[in-house]
Amino acid sequence: MIGFLSILGPIEDVLTWALEWFHTTLGLSWAWSIVALTIVVRVLLVPLTVRQIHSMQRMQQYLPEMKAIQKRYKTDRRKQNEELMKFYKEHQINPASSCLPIIPQIPIFFALYFVLRDFDDEIYPEYPGSELDWLNFVPDITANITADWSGYVLLAVYVASQVASTWFMPTQSRGQRIIFLFLPFIFAIFILDPPGGTTFPVGLLIYWMTTNLWTVGQGIVTRGLRAKTPAPPAKRSSRTPSKVERPEDAAAEDVDGGQPPKPGPPRRVKRKKKRGARR
Amino acid sequence: MKYVGIAGVYAYRYTFGALFPATCKYHPSCSQYALDALRRYGLVRGTILAGWRLLRCNPWSHGGVDYAENQRLFR
Repeated sequence: MIGFLSILGPIEDVLTWALEWFHTTLGLSWAWSIVALTIVVRVLLVPLTVRQIHSMQRMQQYLPEMKAIQKRYKTDRRKQNEELMKFYKEHQINPASSCLPIIPQIPIFFALYFVLRDFDDEIYPEYPGSELDWLNFVPDITANITADWSGYVLLAVYVASQVASTWFMPTQSRGQRIIFLFLPFIFAIFILDPPGGTTFPVGLLIYWMTTNLWTVGQGIVTRGLRAKTPAPPAKRSSRTPSKVERPEDAAAEDVDGGQPPKPGPPRRVKRKKKRGARR
Repeated sequence: MKYVGIAGVYAYRYTFGALFPATCKYHPSCSQYALDALRRYGLVRGTILAGWRLLRCNPWSHGGVDYAENQRLFR
């Protein structure tokens, strides 16, 4: 635990420096500085998301092979897992990025907690009279969440954003999703009545809200990307030529699949040939 | 002594472990690897092995099959 706290020191310094930079150079209020800081953190984490999407796209290509492996070893789950892992490694794909996907954000969150907790003593005296309010309804972002009614409003928004971001998490099982849906409410209770008289500054909620909204936005964008990529068109047409021949089926497929009907010109030629051969 | 570590892993499994998706990029999973390493190599070396495995389980590695008994740290 002490080791963990000591690595937070440098992160705290970086966060403090960044907040001060946003405040003095860009002239943002402290609350907006936290928002800006959150966005910078998430932008830095984008490469990880990109990697994961690429991995998922490639996985779609290998789906038949993976299904075959699952079928071959369906009696032996251990062997099945082993073979799947071997297959993943061979093709450099993997559904998981690490054992704990949220790890990169944990140190930042803890460091920010300490920075905001000591804000009044360590940062504010250097900038006397600077604005601590936000959006004309939060009086003081360093105050405890329960100090003002606006804190409860933000807490509600936070819970909503957390629930929303759950829908974009790459979790498989339904049970986990349900746990993730309930987690923010437990957090909320914990935040309202923290053990040991700890205080949670409003600024932390701003960080969590922003990061969740980013997750939602990123999820919407990448969901679009994922929907476009599955099943390369060449494979598709070769598997279902008879279906596409009938126009009403092709139309129905366009409606429910929502996929751009992009049969390349060479394929169309092929199909016509087939039709001709049959007649 | 090593049972302290094993108990710790089980405590993790039934608390936080239940919250996160059970998708490790390695086989066996990190917690199973920790259990194997602790049973086989004892508390100190087992903990080091498990810690090293957790660090390897990052977005820049490719995962794969990786059993505790095939480790190369302690020979």
